[in-house]
Amino acid sequence: MSAVATAVRNVTVRGNRRTRAGAAILATLILIALLAPVLAPHDPNAIDPNRILAGPDLSHPFGSDALGRDVFSRVLFAYRVSLAVAIGSVLLALAVGIPLGLLAGYYGGPIDSLLMRPVDLLLALPALLLALSLISVIGPGTWVALFAIAVIYLPIMARVVRSSVLRVVNEDYVAGAGARGVTRMGVMVRHVLPNSLGPSLVQASVLMGFAIQIEAALSFLGLGAQPPTPSLGLMLADGYQVLQQAPWADIFPGLAIAIAVLAFILIGDGMRAHFDPHGVSR
Amino acid sequence: MSAPLLALDGVSVDFGPVSAVCDVSLEVSEGEIFGLVGESGCGKTTLAMAVMGLLPATAAVRGAIRFEGDDVLTRSEADRRKLRGDRISMVFQDPRAALDPAFPVGEQVAETIRAHRSVTRRAAREEAIRLLGEVGIPAAAERYRDPPHRLSGGMQQRVVIATALANEPSLLIADEPTTALDVTIQAQILGLIRELRDRHRTTVVLIAHDLGVVAELCDRAGVLYAGQLMEVAPVERIFAAPQHPYTKALLAALPTRAAARGALPVAAGGVPDLADAPPGCRFAPRCPVRMDACAEVPPPVLSEPGHATSCWYAAQRGAPA
Amino acid sequence: MSPRTRYALERLLLTIPTLLAMSLFVFLLIRLVPGDPVRTMLGFRATPANVATIRHQLHLDEPLPTQYIAWMGALLHGDLGRDYISHAPLSQLLGEALPVTLELTLLAMALALAVGLPLGVLAATGRGPVRRLTDGFVIAGVSIPDFWLGTLLVLLFAATLEWLPPSGYVPFTSDPVENLRYMALPVLTLAVGEAAYILRTTRGAMEETLGAPFVTFLRAKGLPERSIVFRHALRNAAVPIVTVVGIQFGVLLGGAIVIETLFGLPGVGRLTVTAINQRNYTVVQGSVLVIATMFILVNLATDLVYGWLDPRIDEVAER
Repeated sequence: MSAVATAVRNVTVRGNRRTRAGAAILATLILIALLAPVLAPHDPNAIDPNRILAGPDLSHPFGSDALGRDVFSRVLFAYRVSLAVAIGSVLLALAVGIPLGLLAGYYGGPIDSLLMRPVDLLLALPALLLALSLISVIGPGTWVALFAIAVIYLPIMARVVRSSVLRVVNEDYVAGAGARGVTRMGVMVRHVLPNSLGPSLVQASVLMGFAIQIEAALSFLGLGAQPPTPSLGLMLADGYQVLQQAPWADIFPGLAIAIAVLAFILIGDGMRAHFDPHGVSR
Repeated sequence: MSAPLLALDGVSVDFGPVSAVCDVSLEVSEGEIFGLVGESGCGKTTLAMAVMGLLPATAAVRGAIRFEGDDVLTRSEADRRKLRGDRISMVFQDPRAALDPAFPVGEQVAETIRAHRSVTRRAAREEAIRLLGEVGIPAAAERYRDPPHRLSGGMQQRVVIATALANEPSLLIADEPTTALDVTIQAQILGLIRELRDRHRTTVVLIAHDLGVVAELCDRAGVLYAGQLMEVAPVERIFAAPQHPYTKALLAALPTRAAARGALPVAAGGVPDLADAPPGCRFAPRCPVRMDACAEVPPPVLSEPGHATSCWYAAQRGAPA
Repeated sequence: MSPRTRYALERLLLTIPTLLAMSLFVFLLIRLVPGDPVRTMLGFRATPANVATIRHQLHLDEPLPTQYIAWMGALLHGDLGRDYISHAPLSQLLGEALPVTLELTLLAMALALAVGLPLGVLAATGRGPVRRLTDGFVIAGVSIPDFWLGTLLVLLFAATLEWLPPSGYVPFTSDPVENLRYMALPVLTLAVGEAAYILRTTRGAMEETLGAPFVTFLRAKGLPERSIVFRHALRNAAVPIVTVVGIQFGVLLGGAIVIETLFGLPGVGRLTVTAINQRNYTVVQGSVLVIATMFILVNLATDLVYGWLDPRIDEVAER
């Protein structure tokens, strides 16, 4: 827990301007997402025949879509899905990737090959294609998208952790701990792990940003979140259909995606100098 | 006495609040090997870079640096670039870091020639091969095409020296050219430098932190501490009759057989913080014969023919012992 | 054998197991579908006779290894299977779709390089305002979803200005000018995001290279700045840049899938998406195979270029 507290402190107090800006945006977005039911002026699914393709006004700041639904409210609720999938998928990738990378990097040799070879095979396909392949088997949906993105990110996280561990393992304090009689497991968990996490935090942040884009892309293709679940990608697909008559239905959801991605990237970039000075992450 | 080839007149270099070099004045005569000695961080490299004009934009240089009578600090960057590699050359400490890993070593020598003289590529290549042979690289024509990492450290340094001497510069600044090399190779490289000096009449400024190297190779030497020049004299006098307390401390710290038993004498204290240096002598806090005026007032330069010392104590005592 | 040749051969040989593993993965996909994939695929066309015939054709009732060998055998003869809904051979479908995707990705990458590389060098060697501008471009380019950018470009160039068509395709061989008109917006859409990435990579690599000690020595030799930047720094920075470009090609292939769908380009990407939506499993299998193979081959090409460029390849090859 102290590691988490230190991390938070690093980001908020010692973090540079980028991290703070990104964190501020992200915090706002998370807040918005959590409070969507309270903040939304209208029911996101409420169809209003009188307001079909109506433009933005005071009570509908983002205008209305082809079914007369309030775009602003829909964006607020869609954020829940996007953020949940983005954060959830990366956390899942971390949960599996950290132990994998840790063991592979620490023990090396045949264990390294055994663990990393299958993981590396996942890298043989372009990310989106891998996600689509999985979806083609399991079927579309929000949870499937989350799982698919986690699978895409697993090899990346495992590699980052592994590279970081390889670097840390050669440090003197690790040898020192071993010399003091700490067990291999103990050295690995108490000394190597905490010091290797830096780059993976940076990577996680950047990947969360890209996860938002992937989730949006999948939904845009009709293979992610399914209606009636509101999703930014789905809104973009619908908005594109009415692009000329109601550009706001396309512009605002897209802007919403861009801002969320921006927040994560800023956080990751800002953290890079402190957490990943050796440039292990991508 | 002919005009000195290189004359530093009150040169100071600041990086913002940090005073890396403070009011250094010295002269280097044509044809001599001048040693610049001091511990790590004392400003030797900064001074060398100031002469070359390779300091970053954040550096503020004051004073005058006269090369062949002309103050280079007043010249444009274009003019200074023309001097570099042609009239003034520099050899760096780590040859592995000095050579471009992506280019053949011979090519790196040849391009120096082409940068300053209008010759054909073939002529430059042949000249480069000749130079590689002159610095003692066997089978120079074949090694021309080798990338740097195929050569040993000693060989790489020879290539660097060949590059530096390609256009027969009047002045060669060698910044700790042997520090990164094995002891046996050190002797070879130093010998090479002396040989080249003899053959081409090149003036050499040799920067070192090793007094042994200075004793071996140099005619005169200057002692630098925390950016200030403490003492300048012919090498024999520095060793036989040092006047500055810092020089004496440096010499005393050299392990000799006589002092083999017991601890090496160490000057107490540490190097001052250059961002907050006292106006006077920077060695004062550690000086065994410190006087009240020392830290506050810049000491006068006690000079005799060829031997200058910047020290209150020495000035007070008058003629050297 | 020179280290370079050895490295190149190594990379070539390693591609084979990768291709095999990928083919295994693709092979297993269709067989992992819950329920009866054939019935699902045929949908309302599923009669017991049809289903049985197709199951037999796909060897679905035989043990897995036999299936795999049969499938691989057919593959190596150029038979990628059939689309059981349209009854067209997959090699034909994919053969028509592949050039579209290739044109899109290659043009996009070329444009991205043409813009990103010089701007990256400029950003690394330029002063404050240039850096801030490129910073902004990079962050925007990376954050903005490419398909959203696509819709915005359509809004501007197709809907408002009516300079370019929003969708459709004409093969290059039929009418080059029309082809380029239809490809313009899709290529531009993909290229912008990619250019931002390349700019950022180039800038980083150049800055790092220009800060290296050997550059100081180059200056000490009195070389003109132009020669230092373009002859020496760029050559050294090329190594990490090429590596990233290779990786980015995979991203571009993924992006192409979405962009083709958006712009109605009849490429492999759109084929895949349509097939997934229709549960047309054999088509999914074929198109995933093709795209993945493209990706692996591009990676191989990148590795080979990297091997040729990296001066320390001898040391790398030793490992």
